[in-house]
Amino acid sequence: MATKGIPIRIAVIYEPGKRIRPIWFELNRRQYRVVETTYHWRDKIGEAHFLHYTVTDGEALYELVFSPTDQIWTLNTQQTE
Amino acid sequence: MPADAATMKERIILHLDMNAFFANVEQQANPALRGKPIAVIGSNGRTVITTASYEARKYGVKTGMAIWEAKRQCPRIILVVGDNRKYTYTSSRIFGMMLDYTPLVEVFSIDEAFLDVTRSLKIFGTPERIVYLLKARIKQSFGLTCSVGIAPNKLLAKLASDMKKPDGLTVIRPDDVSRVMDSLPIRDICGIGSRTERRLNLLGIKTCGDLGRFPVDILKRKFGVIGQRLHEMGLGMDDSPVVPAGDQDRVKSVGHSMTLQRDISRRQDILKYLLQLSEMVGRRARRYGVSGKTISLYVRYADFYSSFGRQQTLATPISQSDDIYQAAIDILDTVELQQPVRLLGVRLSNLQHQAAQLPLFPQERRKALMVLAMDAVNNRYGDFTVTFASLLNTEEKGSHVISPAWRPDGIRCVDVQ
Repeated sequence: MATKGIPIRIAVIYEPGKRIRPIWFELNRRQYRVVETTYHWRDKIGEAHFLHYTVTDGEALYELVFSPTDQIWTLNTQQTE
Repeated sequence: MPADAATMKERIILHLDMNAFFANVEQQANPALRGKPIAVIGSNGRTVITTASYEARKYGVKTGMAIWEAKRQCPRIILVVGDNRKYTYTSSRIFGMMLDYTPLVEVFSIDEAFLDVTRSLKIFGTPERIVYLLKARIKQSFGLTCSVGIAPNKLLAKLASDMKKPDGLTVIRPDDVSRVMDSLPIRDICGIGSRTERRLNLLGIKTCGDLGRFPVDILKRKFGVIGQRLHEMGLGMDDSPVVPAGDQDRVKSVGHSMTLQRDISRRQDILKYLLQLSEMVGRRARRYGVSGKTISLYVRYADFYSSFGRQQTLATPISQSDDIYQAAIDILDTVELQQPVRLLGVRLSNLQHQAAQLPLFPQERRKALMVLAMDAVNNRYGDFTVTFASLLNTEEKGSHVISPAWRPDGIRCVDVQ
């Protein structure tokens, strides 16, 4: 597992049905292309909502988190095999 | 046709059971875990197996098993620390999907529900079609599978969903009931535990057929009021309705418990956990406008098997965390602890709903306003944002276990971490 909550640069597609599909994100000046969004869920801390996306670039698994209130994307965890 | 048979033929009940729910969610979230024996465990170091994947179950790994035991059964097992928020969200979404087919949805646990679709068939056609639609939506949204039973009542629907796993669909039609029940072991019925099973075995009752044929008078003499119910279970009869959340009885208690990271004996350590539990109980009680007169304290000792539970009833109902805490300490002070403590629980019962009263005296009024202000901050920024100073250094705060009583909304919807 890697560090939590690193702000990231990201490209996503807003699809019909309120769906957000991450396409790529950048971390340490490297671009990671999302091969599959494997899972998604929401949670809430107080009144703040967070959208979680587990994605893979084919090599590792990443948890990306979007805060609709702050309009910020962060990388929560990174898991390698 | 007897009245009971007529009633049974009229209803169409579904029981939906998510397959190895937590493990399946983790396998979907992480493709590297798919097809492998995995088990979901809690974040607490002293946890047991919460759920095992079907691949792990083949090796004999079961829910509730100690980790060392699971590793002995299946040395290749992959242990995954569960993420409760993922499960409660997924569960809430799935229950939401069910409501698209009938308003009569009874959430039985985080991964099980009953649906009464008797009056939905004019819109959706057949119960099988509803099941296919629901299964497809769950699969498409989350990649998860479930097993469903279709039957004339809840008892049989639950039985049917257990018959084909994973990803099964089993229909028990009214005409099949006696054939299905005849050779079915009594332990397969929801509601007959190992103790009742042993007592029934002593009467020579092994199957549901035996139970249904056994003289009901003797069952009543041996088991009291549930004798009649056991007789009906043996016959596959159950007229209990599917009760949606809004129609369920009001909750009778609000409680929290926690298994501690390590056994503790020092009074100040125990008090710290009691304060935390009291705050969790108080917060939930105040959020839903309930207060209670009876406080219960539950302690499980380090040997895991011995425990005690005591309660005291106060003159007036309380909901403020420090009042609950004080009452819990009063109970604690009446006992001498036999061993270090492994688990602590605090419960508020004898509840009064919407019983808030404005305090008369300035000091109490100030305290009530302070609690209101703390609740407002915590509602906005999250539990324990503002809390008691003695809790500031506590490592783990809040609920880390999904209670069997968890529901997707209302007072039973506990935010778990």
